[in-house]
Amino acid sequence: MITPKELDHLATLSRIKLTEDDKKSLIKEFDSILAYIDQLKKVPVKMDAEGRVGAVKNVMRPDVVASISSEDRERLLNEAPDREGDFIAVKKIIAQD
Amino acid sequence: MKIDLNKLTIKTAHDHLKDGDFTSVELTRGYLDVIAKKNKDINAYLEVFDDALEAAKKADIKLDKIRNSKSEIRDKSEMPNQNFELLGIPCAIKDNILIKGKIASSASKILEDYHATYNATVISKLGKEGAIFLGRTNMDEFAMGASTENSAYGVTRNPHDLERVPGGSSGGSAASVAMNGSLFALGSDTGGSIRQPASFCGIVGLKPTYGAVSRYGLMAMASSLDHIGPLTKTVTDSEIVFNAIRGKDVKDGTSIDQSTYPKMRIGKKKPIIGVPRDFLGQGGIDPETIRAFNVAVEAFKAKGYEVKDIVLPNIAYSIATYYIIVPAEVSANMARFDGVRYGLHVDGKNGIEDYFETRRAGLGREVIRRILLGAYVLSSGYYDAYYNRATAVRRMISDDFRKAFESVDVILTPTTTGPAFKIGSKTTDPVAMYLEDIFTSPADLTGIPAMSIPAGTIRKDGKDLPIGIQLLARHGDEATLFEAGKDFLGES
Repeated sequence: MITPKELDHLATLSRIKLTEDDKKSLIKEFDSILAYIDQLKKVPVKMDAEGRVGAVKNVMRPDVVASISSEDRERLLNEAPDREGDFIAVKKIIAQD
Repeated sequence: MKIDLNKLTIKTAHDHLKDGDFTSVELTRGYLDVIAKKNKDINAYLEVFDDALEAAKKADIKLDKIRNSKSEIRDKSEMPNQNFELLGIPCAIKDNILIKGKIASSASKILEDYHATYNATVISKLGKEGAIFLGRTNMDEFAMGASTENSAYGVTRNPHDLERVPGGSSGGSAASVAMNGSLFALGSDTGGSIRQPASFCGIVGLKPTYGAVSRYGLMAMASSLDHIGPLTKTVTDSEIVFNAIRGKDVKDGTSIDQSTYPKMRIGKKKPIIGVPRDFLGQGGIDPETIRAFNVAVEAFKAKGYEVKDIVLPNIAYSIATYYIIVPAEVSANMARFDGVRYGLHVDGKNGIEDYFETRRAGLGREVIRRILLGAYVLSSGYYDAYYNRATAVRRMISDDFRKAFESVDVILTPTTTGPAFKIGSKTTDPVAMYLEDIFTSPADLTGIPAMSIPAGTIRKDGKDLPIGIQLLARHGDEATLFEAGKDFLGES
């Protein structure tokens, strides 16, 4: 069971606005999903076991800046919702008192 | 000559192109005509590219050159694959794979106007081979779903029955091939998103070994389970496309080369097949699907395959494991959609409110559900009970497969629990939709290669609906899947 307070907290962490209707249906859906995945609690597992997929291991590369053409730079900047010159514009985050 | 798209495969189309029976422009126009006629009903494509014919013209020039040079030395830099099997071959691309300059929306409102700023590695590779990109295909938003009903741009319909789903999340890609709207398509598979729609649409879908195909330029959903793979009409075609897109890529640290996994084979003449009977016996599987599966098993036996019963003790926990690990990774991967650097932006009262408004407006229900569930299973107090435990069970499932592959070369299961279901029949119950992946998700959790191939049809409501069987093999052993798949379908 997930409480409305817990759901509010998750929504805040996830930066998603939820309406009261959203919350009602989400709590119901969460309950059925959690009831299903709770079957894992019955599995006798060695909790020190690490998950691993195939033979994948950490991969390092040299710390070198890759160059990018000015056209590609323009493409990237043009995708920003708000742009000022060569900067992506955002709202002020530190207010003066 | 008249082109019969219904019978055409990559292999036969390539032969005709090479022999000059028709041109790539004629072939491409053939597909564009079908799309113009059928797409309004089926909605496989979200966009048809206006430069496809231009690309086909260029392919024809190269084909001319090759024809005229006959056996003389070809310019290797211009044609990396000496077989040039994909030169002039029209294909469709799932909307979560980036093609530079084109919109890539992942069927989400949050990326409605997003233009890709670079090519995915698979696109660069196909481009070098001379494949023609016809358009981008519909999908469940950010690949989260099993029916293509979660698209922000309308549902895709199954070409075999318009009342039914094509499967998902690569439903548009599968439908494009099945309706003769492309000769092959690329999709992505995180829990079954290539194989399940392939099964529902009566085609071949391959999920390669984890890392065999670079994911650079694929929008990440659950990074430890995401794969790119082909949807094709035949196993031979699947192998052609797989060989074109595979390979280690410096831009994807998880990519591998062909020497990563040791080659192994137990069956002396033919691969030995294992069937996890106890798993198939569990409820929820359509009896006619089991019957079709048993017919397929007998067909393999008749072709001289040894078939053994095997046990995969923890495989029944796959879906529960999957729906902890996937939302956890989703909640991290979806954090990038903040309305600042690209995509939709909705104004709020201040900077932080912008995030809340943008994400609420731009993301669909299933995406939001998974983000929140992911935050939940990762939060302190629940982390051990859910995420850590799921990771441990994932390891146990991998061990089960490793043990099974000590006595068999291929594992055979149905791809799905039944044929394509009716549109709207599972949308209100997320768990029912999640259970769609019961046979397919284990291969994503463990990273082994898996392929769905057609195994006949099942008659429902007066329509013949395709059904697939799934072949699974050891890490790095796509070759055995192709071998057994071709044998089953009678491809030489």
